[in-house]
Amino acid sequence: MGPELTVLILAALLQVVTFAIYAIPANLELGMGYTLSARDREPTRQMSERTARLGRALNNMFEALILFGIAALVIQTTNQSTPDTAALAWVSLAARIAYIPAYAYGLCPGRSLIWAVGFGATVLMLIAALF
Amino acid sequence: MTETTILAAYGLLVLLTILLQVLGGMQQLSLGYLMSSRDETRTVSGMTARLERALANSITAMALFAPAILILVVLDRTSSASLLAAQVFLIARIIYLPVYAFGIPAVRTLVWLAGFAATVVLYFLAL
Repeated sequence: MGPELTVLILAALLQVVTFAIYAIPANLELGMGYTLSARDREPTRQMSERTARLGRALNNMFEALILFGIAALVIQTTNQSTPDTAALAWVSLAARIAYIPAYAYGLCPGRSLIWAVGFGATVLMLIAALF
Repeated sequence: MTETTILAAYGLLVLLTILLQVLGGMQQLSLGYLMSSRDETRTVSGMTARLERALANSITAMALFAPAILILVVLDRTSSASLLAAQVFLIARIIYLPVYAFGIPAVRTLVWLAGFAATVVLYFLAL
């Protein structure tokens, strides 16, 4: 298995971890009565600021994961893996790991810079996959 | 162009959509708000809002298109038909972006439909 695919699996597991660290406080704060319901109405209790940030971080990560997934799988299936693309994959993953605490603690402009690093690394991987 | 290069090209198109949507957000919401943790909800309007909706739709389209292409490639079932379907998908999604950004009705729905139908065809070819 190529390094890009290893990173892809780790990125998917990071998604699971992020889901857990968002869902657990969200359930505690909103109440299981609400989260288990069909959520037809807005919740009566509010999520804390940090939990809401984790929710937004999770949404952003889905977009990043699907783009990274394409880049990693195209590079692998077309045998275009190089040390450069492997390094870019690790940079993407490192950025996405750093993104979670950066968002949770409201780091400004750190969160945007970290996001830009991950975005840039994915762009370069896709360009590498194209040629 | 092969199916995989089309997939990579579509990934770049979605990244471009994200970039355009961020640039629109910079104008309407200020860079300060974008870099903050966005604890208060602010909404965009006009072209930036349309780009936001186009992005959400592109992500959905990608989540369906990418597995179809990857199944075809991994199973070695690519053909001239699957290449044509992938090309139709990419062209439709390239047209979709400006058409949505400028709010052109009907055409947007038609190109969306072309991309959707091409994805359906790809799954039937993969089966």
